[in-house]
Amino acid sequence: MSAETASALDPDDGLLVLDGIVKQFGGLTAVDDLSIAVEEGEILGFIGPNGAGKSTTFNCVTGRYPPTSGTVYYDGEDVTGTDAHRMVTKGLARTFQEFRPLEDRSVRENVELALTPDKLFSLQGLRGETRQRAAAICERVGLGDRMEMLPDELPHAGLLRLELGRALATEPELLLVDEPFAGLSGPEVESISNLLSDLRDEGLTLVVVDHNMRGLLSLIDRAIVIQFGAMIAEGAPEEIKQDPTVQEAYLGGDEL
Amino acid sequence: MSDRSDRGDGQPLDRLNPMRLGLRHQLGLVGLVGLGTLPLVIDATFALTLALAYFWGVYAMSWDVVSGYTGQISFGHGVFFGVGGYTSALLNLGYGIDPVFSIPVGALLAAVAGLIIGVPALRLRGPYLSLVTLVAPLILVQVFIFRSDIFNGEQGLSSVDPLFGLSTFGNETAFYYVALGLFVGVLALLLLITRSDAGSVFTAIREDEDAVAAAGLNPAKFKIMAFVLSAAIGGLAGAVIVHTPSGNASPTTLMSVTVNVEVIIAAILGGMGTIVGAGVGGILLILLREQLSKVAWTVPIIDTPVSDIDFLVFALITLVLLYALPGGIVRWVIELGGQSVAKLRGRDDVAADGGQTPLEQVYDSYAEWFSGGDDDER
Repeated sequence: MSAETASALDPDDGLLVLDGIVKQFGGLTAVDDLSIAVEEGEILGFIGPNGAGKSTTFNCVTGRYPPTSGTVYYDGEDVTGTDAHRMVTKGLARTFQEFRPLEDRSVRENVELALTPDKLFSLQGLRGETRQRAAAICERVGLGDRMEMLPDELPHAGLLRLELGRALATEPELLLVDEPFAGLSGPEVESISNLLSDLRDEGLTLVVVDHNMRGLLSLIDRAIVIQFGAMIAEGAPEEIKQDPTVQEAYLGGDEL
Repeated sequence: MSDRSDRGDGQPLDRLNPMRLGLRHQLGLVGLVGLGTLPLVIDATFALTLALAYFWGVYAMSWDVVSGYTGQISFGHGVFFGVGGYTSALLNLGYGIDPVFSIPVGALLAAVAGLIIGVPALRLRGPYLSLVTLVAPLILVQVFIFRSDIFNGEQGLSSVDPLFGLSTFGNETAFYYVALGLFVGVLALLLLITRSDAGSVFTAIREDEDAVAAAGLNPAKFKIMAFVLSAAIGGLAGAVIVHTPSGNASPTTLMSVTVNVEVIIAAILGGMGTIVGAGVGGILLILLREQLSKVAWTVPIIDTPVSDIDFLVFALITLVLLYALPGGIVRWVIELGGQSVAKLRGRDDVAADGGQTPLEQVYDSYAEWFSGGDDDER
């Protein structure tokens, strides 16, 4: 539907480059020839109405499943179809929209898992160093006073902080944050936004997925809007808001 | 489960100092020493019963490290006992190889079998994997029956050399120590592995594989490790048992449907996902069955002595215990002990156990699987 967006991208156009990503499930095309470049050090908003293909795109990048066609470049390297855990090792971490803490262990132990080396025989955890690093990360994401709690004792915002903590424990260069602001109150949105911009200031690149711009406007540097799996707009947040195509996409549905 | 707060500081070796261990660990050590001195007071028959019980403890622990920890439920662990036992017996009978050398080969081949079953486990989840493990020992038994010229069918292989040249009659105490030694060795090894980082990755896989991958850890690698480790230990137990009076290389000892089911019962009854619980469960299972088979009391109405229907009674007791103590006997005892210690010390701040038992987790994941859940777009 949009012929002007499908220009081929170069592997070095950004830290993460998606070039002509297509994902089909049977006859359904969930992602339709999507090309995106995420620049190092930016906070990119990845926006689209529910069912636009955001999570599918996300899953193709993080290795949950491979794209039907197209190429994913990370740091100039072709990483299409790389396993989820290997993408994390390369420096690309993610959070889960629906929050997936390990319910059988404390907040700190959840973070400790992400600090565990991917080796079969490791006694690192017995030395107490992992414990201290995990505690520091809990402090960083605002769970310092709740790290001995079980995840099911945490409120919604606390679970989001835990997701962020676990992702940060893998020492990422790029963090994909899936719908962080859904279900948060105004002050919580602000507090998480501040955390995310602090992380960016420390050198992290972020992609924040959301279905509307609530809370994103002041946070993101740039936005990409997709609908039916294809990009319909790209630019600064204010421009996006005025874009007629975007307004049409949201007509009668969510408010942008 | 309850004393998380006292661990963490200090060097690994320092924390193995018995004086600094938690109360229940000290009690466990005392219990093991007690088992070591038991032959002084028991007769030969009971020593052999206990030897069999230790083998079952090892069977159950080997099941627990893969199924209890990673949640990959195996319904046919007998295939590993069988490969270990038959390999060692055939090498001994056919080539005259001493059991001391044929047993490691049996364990090794069982590890290879673990790899063969473990690799499909990477693609199959939940019920499909269980079906593979359910069918594998059935295939093996059928092969053994089909090639009776080699494997001697349902009878199995007998007159295998006993371990260390011991004699079957008169050396009961020695066999007791062989079994106890195997039990303690496997217990120590599995405790070490499951209490190291690998153990926490195993249980994380049981909880949520995608979250493990998102933590930068390769779930496939750890699942394969659990399968191979479990198979090697199961194969080792199977290989040792055929060289003792506790069993021979036959489907009944190593890989019948009853064996496969009882291993699971033992581990769940004792406490799935704890290793210690599985070990204790295996021992209790054999002792309970032995006791039941001696009960001469006649059940009224059906007019049958308990000893004739011991397996039925055993199964009923199992059902009741599973219903009453879903976390297993060992967890229940620890919880009870923790509460009474807390009461003695006048505290009432025992941490609430908000988590689920492994049994409930596995049930949940199967239920989720059947309802077609596990979707990212919820």
